[in-house]
Amino acid sequence: MKPIIISMLVCSTLLFAFNRDDFKHLKEEGDCPKCDLSYADLRGIDLSMSDFTDANLTHANLGSTLAHKADFTRADLNYAVFANANIKGASFVSARLKSVNFYAARIWKGNFSHARIDHCNFNESALGSAIFDDNNLTNSTFSGAILYKTVFHKNVVGVPGK
Amino acid sequence: MKPVILIIACTITLLAGGIQFEHDFNSALQKAEKQNKEVMMMYSAPWCPECNYMKEVVFKNKNVLAYIQKHFIVLSLDIQKDKLPKGFDFIGIPTFFFLDKKAKEKDKIIGGSKADVFLQKLKAVK
Repeated sequence: MKPIIISMLVCSTLLFAFNRDDFKHLKEEGDCPKCDLSYADLRGIDLSMSDFTDANLTHANLGSTLAHKADFTRADLNYAVFANANIKGASFVSARLKSVNFYAARIWKGNFSHARIDHCNFNESALGSAIFDDNNLTNSTFSGAILYKTVFHKNVVGVPGK
Repeated sequence: MKPVILIIACTITLLAGGIQFEHDFNSALQKAEKQNKEVMMMYSAPWCPECNYMKEVVFKNKNVLAYIQKHFIVLSLDIQKDKLPKGFDFIGIPTFFFLDKKAKEKDKIIGGSKADVFLQKLKAVK
């Protein structure tokens, strides 16, 4: 009996890994800097212009979300999902981006300066006029991505197509 | 002298083969009726990279270009200069509106995409 109770407790903890007050704050205020939103399901919430600076968004699901010009500066986004999201003009400056799924996301004018990019999926995404500066893109994939006027500064390692 | 210059200008335009953008709603409608085509109204801005990508890359793709030239009159409106005609609404640019014979919205495509994807969307609309 004990193992069942323990596993149920573990599961319930995983289901609500994020801070519920922070989640409520985001829904009410539209911003949530320094919040713990890890594992949160943020699909369907309008996150346009939202402030997520220094937030913990590890494993968060932002798939198909509208979050244009959202600010993810220094946020921890490891293992987050942005597939098919509209994140035009979003800032990922100095963000942690390990194994983030950006598949088919619209990231026009996104700013990835100094972001720690590792094993990210940018396949089929639109990265036109996005900025990459001080990044290592070696392990990330860009198959079918729109790289029209994308800015890759000289210090970027593993520029796609080169 | 004037007709000669006009002929040269027309020849250059035809040889260039790009999309001829209309900028006036009513004249686009008239042209479409005359040529038995539909109006595709693009709402965009010169500062929008996604819009410029559509104009500079996607619309120059030979398959997209051929399809548009065959089926549509393209009306290009600038968000900074032109108000959308009554009855049209948008949430972001670029938005492509497709008009029926009564000049009402028949369908729309929100956002840009790569040439092959955009062509599929155009065919679905048509």
